Amino acid sequence: MTTETTPRQRAPHRLATAVWTLAVPLVSAGVTAAQVLAWRDRLPEPVAVHWGPDGADGFGTVAELVVLPLGVIVPAFALGMWALGTFLGRAALTRRIAAATSVWNGVFVSGVTLTTAWVQLDLTDASRAGGLGAGIAASLVAASAIGFAAGQLTPGDRPQPASGPLPADAARLPLGENEQASWVSTVSQSGTWLLALVAAASVVLVGWATDQWILTAVFAVILGLPVLAFTLWTVTVDHRGLTAASRLGWPRQHVPLDEVESAAAREVQPLKEFGGWGLRTSIADGGTGVVLRRGPGIEVRRTGARRFVVTVDDAETGAALLNTLAGRSRLDR
Amino acid sequence: MLFRIDPSAARPLFEQLAAQVRAAISRGELAPGTRLPAARELATSLDVNVHTVLHAYQELRDEGLIELRRGRGAVVTAQAGQDYRPLHAALSAVVVEARRLGLHPDAATALLRDALSAARTTTPGPTPQETS
Repeated sequence: MTTETTPRQRAPHRLATAVWTLAVPLVSAGVTAAQVLAWRDRLPEPVAVHWGPDGADGFGTVAELVVLPLGVIVPAFALGMWALGTFLGRAALTRRIAAATSVWNGVFVSGVTLTTAWVQLDLTDASRAGGLGAGIAASLVAASAIGFAAGQLTPGDRPQPASGPLPADAARLPLGENEQASWVSTVSQSGTWLLALVAAASVVLVGWATDQWILTAVFAVILGLPVLAFTLWTVTVDHRGLTAASRLGWPRQHVPLDEVESAAAREVQPLKEFGGWGLRTSIADGGTGVVLRRGPGIEVRRTGARRFVVTVDDAETGAALLNTLAGRSRLDR
Repeated sequence: MLFRIDPSAARPLFEQLAAQVRAAISRGELAPGTRLPAARELATSLDVNVHTVLHAYQELRDEGLIELRRGRGAVVTAQAGQDYRPLHAALSAVVVEARRLGLHPDAATALLRDALSAARTTTPGPTPQETS
C-alpha cells in the first residue's frame, strides 16, 4: 500500500550492501577456516590459542582457534553492519561505513587467525610458537586497504532534487536580489592534542611491547593519518549547497542545494547522538554527520529522508544562508 | 565568515570583498592568525573570477591586514589585531574637512601621503608596507 502518512524510504543499493557487509567478510572467514583446518595435520597438539607479551600462553584445540573469531565474531559483526546498511542506509555515507567496517573486520580477524595457525606450522611444541607482529601488521594493512576499497566501491546516492518549497519558518538571511554569498567556517576536533598524544603513546607502547618495527610503523601510519585528516574541517555554504571537507580535501561531505529541504542551527552532542566523534552515522536513524565537538552545529534535512549534521561555529549564519539560497534556487526553476 | 558581493552594484567586486574582510577584522570577527579561504576556492564559491579575489587579497596585504604566503594562503596578521578605531575616527575627520574645503580626493590623498612620509623621516617607527 502506498498510503503511509510518514513515507519510510527504503535504502537503495541493497545488493551492494549485502555483497560488501555479508558476502565478502563471510567468504574471507570461510576460506580462512578451511585453510586452518587443512593445516590440522601440520599443527601441534594442543595448539596455542592465546598470546601474551612473552609469547604463547594459552592452549587448546584447532576448533577453539577458529570458532570464536571466524564462526562468531565475523558473522555477528557482518550481520549488524548488513542491518545498518539495509534498513538505515538511505545516505551513501551510512552504506559506505557499514561496508568498510564489515570488510575491515572480516579481513583483519581472518588475517590474525590465519597468522596464529601459520606461526605454529610443523611445530611439535606450541609454546615455541613465534610472535604474531608481522602477521598482525600485514592483516592491518590488508584490512585497511580492502575496507577502504569497499567504501569507495559502494554506490553513491542518485540525485534527488526537492520538489516543494522551504518551510516559511526556516531561518533566513536577508540577501539582495542580485547578491551572491559564501559562508566559510572551520571546525577542529576537540582534544586534538589528547588524540595525538594517545596515538603517539599507542605507537610507542606497541613498539616497546612487541619490539617489531614493522608493526610499529604500520600502527603509526594507521593512527596518524586519521589524526591529520579528521581533525580540521572547513564548512562552506554557497550556490552549490553545503560542503564539509577535511584539511586534506578528503573525506568530504556535500549536500547539493537542490536537495536541501531545510536547515537549522542547534546544539549537537556527538557522543549521545552519534556514539562518538568524527565522520559518523547514527545507528538510531542512519543520519550522518561530521561531528567534531560538542556545541553549535547545522542540521540539514535532506531529500530521501536523509539528514546531515555538522558541528561548526556561527552555525546560525550558515543555516540561514543555506535556507535562503535553497529557497531562491527553487524560485528560479 | 560571510562573504557577499553584488555584481549589480557600482562598487567594484574586489572592493566589496576587501571592505568586508576589513570590517570583519575591525569588528574582531577575524582574529590574527585566522586563515582566509584560498583565493581559488573563494572565487569558485562566490562564482567570480579568481583575479577578483586575488585583487582584494592584494589590497588587504598592502594595507598590512593579511599576509599572503605561497602554499599557506591568506592569514590575518598580528598587526590587524590592533585597535583601528582612533585612526578611523581621525580619517573621517580628514574626509569631512577635505569636503568642506572642496578639496579634490587626489589632492587630499597627496597631502596625506606627504604628511606620512614627513613623519617617517622624523620618527623612525615601524613602516609596514610600501605602496607605490
